[in-house]
Amino acid sequence: MESKGGMIMRGFREVGWVAAVAGTALGCYMVNLKVASERAALETVENRIVLAQRDIRVLQTEIGTRGRLEQLESWNVKVLALSAPQAQQFLEGEFQLATLTAPRETIDPAAPVVLAAAPRPQPEARQAEPAERAGGPTARDLMQVASLKRDLPEAAPAPAPKKAVDKPTPPNKAAVKVPAKAATAPVKKVEEAKPATAKVATANKAPARTGTKSGADPLAEPKAKSKDVKARQ
Amino acid sequence: MNAPTPALVARPERRLLVGQRRQFLGIMHQRLMVGMLIFAAVVAAIVLRLAFLGLFGDHAGRQTAISALLPLRGDIVDRDGHPLARTIDSWTVALQPAKVIGDKAALAGELARLMPEKNAAGWLAEINSRKSFVYLRRRAAPRLVSALNALGEPGIALSREPDRLYPQTDLAAHVLGYTDIDGHGAAGMELAFDQQLTDPAKPGEPLTLSISSRVQQALEHELIEAKTKFGAIGAAGVLLDIHTGEVLAMTSLPQLNPNIAGNMDPQAQFNRATHGVFELGSTFKPFTVAMALEAGTVKSMGQIYPCYDSLSLPGGRTITDTHPFGRPCSVAEIMMESSNIGSAQIAAQVGGPGQRAFLKKMGFLDRVEIEQPERGRPLTIPVAQWNQATTMTVGFGHSIAVTPLHLASGYATLFNGGIYRPATLLKVDARNRAVRGRRVFSEETSYKMRALLRLVVTKGTGKKAEALGYRVGGKTGTAEKVIGGRFSKTANITSFAGVFPMDEPRYAMVVMLDEPKGQAETFGFRTAGWNAAPTFGKVVARIAPMLGLRPDMKRDANLAEVLPFVREEK
Repeated sequence: MESKGGMIMRGFREVGWVAAVAGTALGCYMVNLKVASERAALETVENRIVLAQRDIRVLQTEIGTRGRLEQLESWNVKVLALSAPQAQQFLEGEFQLATLTAPRETIDPAAPVVLAAAPRPQPEARQAEPAERAGGPTARDLMQVASLKRDLPEAAPAPAPKKAVDKPTPPNKAAVKVPAKAATAPVKKVEEAKPATAKVATANKAPARTGTKSGADPLAEPKAKSKDVKARQ
Repeated sequence: MNAPTPALVARPERRLLVGQRRQFLGIMHQRLMVGMLIFAAVVAAIVLRLAFLGLFGDHAGRQTAISALLPLRGDIVDRDGHPLARTIDSWTVALQPAKVIGDKAALAGELARLMPEKNAAGWLAEINSRKSFVYLRRRAAPRLVSALNALGEPGIALSREPDRLYPQTDLAAHVLGYTDIDGHGAAGMELAFDQQLTDPAKPGEPLTLSISSRVQQALEHELIEAKTKFGAIGAAGVLLDIHTGEVLAMTSLPQLNPNIAGNMDPQAQFNRATHGVFELGSTFKPFTVAMALEAGTVKSMGQIYPCYDSLSLPGGRTITDTHPFGRPCSVAEIMMESSNIGSAQIAAQVGGPGQRAFLKKMGFLDRVEIEQPERGRPLTIPVAQWNQATTMTVGFGHSIAVTPLHLASGYATLFNGGIYRPATLLKVDARNRAVRGRRVFSEETSYKMRALLRLVVTKGTGKKAEALGYRVGGKTGTAEKVIGGRFSKTANITSFAGVFPMDEPRYAMVVMLDEPKGQAETFGFRTAGWNAAPTFGKVVARIAPMLGLRPDMKRDANLAEVLPFVREEK
């Protein structure tokens, strides 16, 4: 059996060799073909890149030509009326930039408040104005006086804590019992108490004001006098 | 029948001798073998060739080499890389009359409609001509090309050919030059670097110039404005970096469009900045003073020279001043008010040989040094005729004609510490270093001149050249133009040569106007202080920020060196 089988095998051995060699050659050829096709694809891509670069170049040239400096200059001069910056327009830094900004125009808090439907404010209150310029809160107080007859709740919170401290018993109770209502409770009380506090405030300020005035006047008057003297000379 | 073709033809049965038969068989086999070998060789050759192609060959779909698509001629770019000259493919449309098959009259009508430069009859004559090839349009617009293609006439040939395009049109045209129809440089840098631009070893490599497009545009625009405003027939401007000799901007007016260079008039093709030579007048005086400082004949800015109303030169000619002092005055005053009389005496002290040696060192006696092929040769008096009067007139810038670029190079030398470097149009960087140059002035002289020229702008004839914050220093120059061999009384060349910022000089610039007219605004004056100087100031105010200079009101040249020698006029 073996010898027969060996014989058969021996008979096919050459065929096998031929098949193996042919198969290998074919395989190599396939690989080769594959490589060649990949290379071709790569070349196609490279060519497309070059073509795209050429197109980009053409477009860049066109844009460059249409937007040439001479053209831009003529638009700048004739259409937009722009000119080169002057030496004074260059700044040293952000501090110099900040010096250029003027303060924003706001409503003068010290201006006399005239309401369409309001009664004329008390003359004393008006006199109070100039001296109050020094401090912001005083001017606000004044506004309260002017709009006294109307209920202005937003002005209230400022004196509120004071009141709460002055009359400890009722607000304390409210605060302890219902903390949520604590905010509303003092406001009401403050409204009730308002006239009194406002009057107190104005009354307190009046003497101080006169004091400052009397302090300022002696200084101011001699100055004016000296100016007059100078002018006469 | 006894034909020798073996094997293929069956022989008739014959009785032959055994020996004969064997002989025949032998020959037959031999011949068969030879034939087989030939076949085998041919087959082997084909198989080998196939194998070779399979292994190493190109495929059938391979396109033309990539290099063919690259531009044949390198671009020219400015110092920031912006293209100034490019080669692109443009459409060329041609007519081949022999190939026209359609209705010729109708075709002529269509052509006349699309290209109105000829009427239908004219085009019909072209179509009927015996020429084999007629250019319809080179550098045709795409719209025209598609319209012509839509005619469907085989007699119209559309093709692409490389074409040189200057995207910025007139910008720096005299620097760039232009190419001829075959794409070779014909002028300017295109001609000077033709070899390098078309070098096959480095295809498409751009040539980087020292020009800065934005600065160039600013200079050109301001000069065009000045030329129009003052009614000048031409103008020129040069801006140099004094430390490297790089030309940052250079222009010549009237403008040249290199895209249609062949159609421009010769005045436009002429480069006044490097090719034209002009007597530049008083702008020469700083050189005279610097020369005298070097020679030691002027020891201080306070040295006094008699500057009365007129001075007689040795040859009999008498010179005067536009602003006569009528008194002895200092060197500082001579420069401030641009006194011819004073400058002539300063030059006379140095003497002719010393002056000539100095002019030679400064390059004022030779062709201007730059890459461009269009370079002017200075004109002056021959050595044999050079006498004391010549020395004195050259001292205030007469009897010597140089190019504006000469003057700019001279100012760069005077203010960069005293080293002469030839001007260059190629960008100076790590690859292309600045040349070492040669020393002409001492650093001290260079330093002393700063205050002197700053004085001219703050107090003297060049007041209008002041650009606020940029510390301009410079000198005006007005010279009468030579027309028909005689000095004209009505035609001037005005110039302003200056340096900025004067406390630490970096840039030198020359602005020149050719035949400016008096204006109502200038009270009829045509002198440089009224036209060239304000133009200079305007250009500086515009370009200095582009060059990275900040305006600074708190800095200035050290005027304390000259102010004590200027008498305050009341």
